[in-house]
Amino acid sequence: MNFYTFFREKFTYLFFNLVLALLFAVIFWKMTVHIGIMILFYLFWFGPLLLYYILSYIKKKNYYQNIVRFQAQLDQKYLLPELLVRPSFLEGQIIYDTIADTYKQMHEHVNVYKREQIAYREYIEAWVHEIKTPLAATRITLQNQGMDAGVFDELDKIEQYIEQVLYFARSSDVSQDYIIRAFPIQEVVNKVAKRNARSFIYQKIRLEMNELHEIVYSDVKWVEFILNQIVGNALKYSKSNQGVIKIYTIKRDNQIQLHIEDNGIGIPEKDLFRVFNKGFTGENGRKYSQSTGMGLYLCNRLAEKLNLGISINSKKNVGTNVQLIFPQSKVLLIES
Amino acid sequence: MIKYKILIIEDEKRIREELNEYLENVGYETATVIDFSRILTIVKEVSPDLILLDLNLPYIDGYTIHREIKKLSDIPIIMVTSRDTEMDELMSMSLGADDFITKPYNLQILMARIEAVLKRVYSSERDNFLSYHGMKLNVASGTIEYQSKEQILTKNELKILYFLIKHKGSIVSREQMMEYLWSADLFVDDNTLSVNITRLRKKLEQLGISNLIETRRGMGYILP
Repeated sequence: MNFYTFFREKFTYLFFNLVLALLFAVIFWKMTVHIGIMILFYLFWFGPLLLYYILSYIKKKNYYQNIVRFQAQLDQKYLLPELLVRPSFLEGQIIYDTIADTYKQMHEHVNVYKREQIAYREYIEAWVHEIKTPLAATRITLQNQGMDAGVFDELDKIEQYIEQVLYFARSSDVSQDYIIRAFPIQEVVNKVAKRNARSFIYQKIRLEMNELHEIVYSDVKWVEFILNQIVGNALKYSKSNQGVIKIYTIKRDNQIQLHIEDNGIGIPEKDLFRVFNKGFTGENGRKYSQSTGMGLYLCNRLAEKLNLGISINSKKNVGTNVQLIFPQSKVLLIES
Repeated sequence: MIKYKILIIEDEKRIREELNEYLENVGYETATVIDFSRILTIVKEVSPDLILLDLNLPYIDGYTIHREIKKLSDIPIIMVTSRDTEMDELMSMSLGADDFITKPYNLQILMARIEAVLKRVYSSERDNFLSYHGMKLNVASGTIEYQSKEQILTKNELKILYFLIKHKGSIVSREQMMEYLWSADLFVDDNTLSVNITRLRKKLEQLGISNLIETRRGMGYILP
């Protein structure tokens, strides 16, 4: 709002006044009214009018220009009502009250969904923890009865799917339950290697890994989950007896890259850029079944929340290389 | 070799019983808690060498039990839980748990943890030695002795021999052997295992023990 736009809005009214004043001037002139009285008359007429306009212009200008400025500066524009003060002029008060009320209502409306989402997530977490007990019981019972390896492979799969559900729930926006701390990358890699030991051993796939000395900052559990998905994929798409999975790190200026490289079937180029999409299974997923298209999608989602980079390179029939990038500057980690 | 006694504190009946059976089968003495209002008395009565403590118990929560037990004694405790966030783990470790494992655990890993904790807490002279037919395996220094001759073993060879002696008299498949090695952070593949066994045999031969490790075709290895 500036002076020009403000007065342009009042133009009709002022114009009408001016025409009327002119009419009066003609009448006064015909009636030969004294010039001094005429001036006084117009002063009483236009003085207060213009004064009122100027004062209200100053008042409104401050208020509305603030609104425009706040709105431009805000990242989350819907927070605008929080910044506004109730103005002293009626028209502004009406608008302010309306916006404030709408805002409050909207807030409550959003909160309903937030609460529902939290409740849902809590239920999923509780459910996952509950189902682990019968699963543990099943596992030990079968072990005592000397069941063959196939049953345990299926149990492993069940557990993996359950874990996916848990991490999907955790990856939602409302969730904040991760803890960033420093840990040796070897710790997580070893854990994941052990978790997949049976697959490596029974499919006769070699794990090639040097000692990894790097320390990274992140949430151990989440990284373990991500890594487990990646290694799980590598195993799934490797060829038995001749598969080799290499795990190594590369140190760059301000990042540490963890590479998981396999010599499996690879991903066709046309599918490569979509592998992180939700529910995307691609050619390999169709051929090898048992692909929900959730694994890499979740990895990407969790990595985003942790500020980790994840990228994938692949060549059909040559292999796949997934890299997980840990930023090394602590500033980046505290941000967001 | 002494038998360690493990006390299982777990409210899920089936897990308790099956775990009990499993631990007995692999050669531990075991005891279980059935009445959870008397945990502390039972701990005193049984005086186990290690406690497997489930965190989610009736009457009192696992953390409190843990604190109370630690007041009484230095018995090592491995916490078992189905909660698996970093927070739970940090909390348990900061309370002084000797180890922490989440359900549903892989039994292979549970065994490795139990062994590791027992070794850390009770590593005495006696436990560091395993003997088999006059041959002495020193686990701490990684050497074998036979008729006053000595051979130094690599980490892989040591673990392989250790596992075979532990299972003497029964066939150990290559896969079982590898699973055991993997649970100890030794990620060997098929070829490496063959190479290691060959080297181990050579070292044993140099000590004058030949044909100690027998191969059963298609099944695995055995120390008779």
